[in-house]
Amino acid sequence: MSKMLEISGLSSYYGGICALNDVSLYINEGEITSIIGSNGAGKSTLMRTVAGDKKIDSGTVLFNGSPLPESVDRVVSGGISLVPEGRRIFSSLTVRENLILGTCSRRDYKQAMADTLDEVLELFPKLRERYHQPGGTLSGGEQQMLAIGRALMARPKLLCLDEPSLGLAPIIIDEVFDKIIQLNEERGLTVLLVEQNAFLALDVAHRAYVLNTGRITLEGTGTELAENPNVQAEYLGVKTGE
Amino acid sequence: MIQILQQLVTSVSVGGLYALLAVGYALIYSVFDFTKLAFGGIMMVSAFAGYFATKLGVPTAAAMLVASAAGVLISVAVELLAYRPMRKRNANRLFLMISAMGVNIFITNLFLCLFGANLRALPTGFSSNTIALGPLRIGVVDLLSLIVSVVALVLLTFFLYRTRAGVTVRASALDMSTAGLMGIDVNRVSLIVFAISGITAAIAGMFFGMKYNVYPAMGSISNKAFIASVIGGLGSLKGAVIGGFLLGILEIMVTAYISATYRDLVSFAVMMIVLIFLPNGLFGMGDQNKL
Repeated sequence: MSKMLEISGLSSYYGGICALNDVSLYINEGEITSIIGSNGAGKSTLMRTVAGDKKIDSGTVLFNGSPLPESVDRVVSGGISLVPEGRRIFSSLTVRENLILGTCSRRDYKQAMADTLDEVLELFPKLRERYHQPGGTLSGGEQQMLAIGRALMARPKLLCLDEPSLGLAPIIIDEVFDKIIQLNEERGLTVLLVEQNAFLALDVAHRAYVLNTGRITLEGTGTELAENPNVQAEYLGVKTGE
Repeated sequence: MIQILQQLVTSVSVGGLYALLAVGYALIYSVFDFTKLAFGGIMMVSAFAGYFATKLGVPTAAAMLVASAAGVLISVAVELLAYRPMRKRNANRLFLMISAMGVNIFITNLFLCLFGANLRALPTGFSSNTIALGPLRIGVVDLLSLIVSVVALVLLTFFLYRTRAGVTVRASALDMSTAGLMGIDVNRVSLIVFAISGITAAIAGMFFGMKYNVYPAMGSISNKAFIASVIGGLGSLKGAVIGGFLLGILEIMVTAYISATYRDLVSFAVMMIVLIFLPNGLFGMGDQNKL
């Protein structure tokens, strides 16, 4: 299995504060890789770095064997799309316009609006119903679908999802995660998932990492981590012993 | 009654020019969260370009194109030389505005040194012609300026709402960092926005030049447009247009029925009163309602 993304010795700072400390990890092509960790563990920083939105202070990030481009737009056109935390829908722009924006990185955007658009609307039929409504009038779940759809319009090789369950009702969360699994299984899309909801994140993951105050403390398959007593105690809320 | 109608016609045409300039302010503010006070200077330089073109025998319509080209060039140059380097270093928006003021004073004084302070009439050949519409007399320049402003505003709206590039501008206005995540080249958006504002400043500059004169300090007219965009709600396109027309009507009416001396007094007073009751202006609703 080939490694799509390989991070080694990545450190990242905000001002003088260290957000990521010597992080190394890899993502296999065609797999879902989850990163779990509590608030402030550095998950979003890691995500922003992979998406090209945060400068690499030290260490290397290789995407399909070559270093990550320096500007965000070239990272996106290179095949990495981020669904940001909190969805970040353009609220006064219509669903259609939000989806158009997803194609900005593509040269073949006319093709995108013909083919990829149909794929996305097929995956998320709700978006077709709301096609000409402003994004801000959509429900939280629909907005999350729109955010994912928008990222898919760029036809990414690696889809990064930052806290997709945040602020959603449990039944909607299940729906979102079903779509993520569907994308991975049916289209072979490689996914990097960052979640506070460790139970969900480990459940869908082929491989997973635990990020704790800027360091990777554990790695393994989703099942391995889900059965690890430390993970159970700290992230899954399972009481160990009496 | 006829007299009021007559004044209304004049004021609508001035309002159209204010609206054009105000839209330039609105565009820049909505994308960059700062207002470009160098607008007056750009307007003046464009008017000079149009003036010299006309002097060389270029017909007025073509001179308008020359002025627009000059407006685009200088607006983009100011963005690249003055603002972008500051944004790259995350400069406070307030300092961007101060830099813009500096640019404005610099350009104005440069032209003062180069060409002197004297007033130059733009020789169009039709500046004093009027068209009779029943009992009303409409200046050809007034009519033309109204038509051109309205056409320009319609084209701009079409661009922003119906084209791909326009959608990227509106997205950047709403949330620049997320726009960047979409792969939108934010620097390209800035060039589009500054080019458009250069064109609107140039059109306004040419018509103000035809109505009044071309001179280095003529850029101060843009302060009025700034008031118009604040009254309408900074960053709101609709607000800028409506604010522009309102201010135009207000000023001409004050001039006609009270005194030209009180014109600016009233304009600024209205701005202050509007801001007391509607701190975001008539149509500004904070960040949610940009463009």
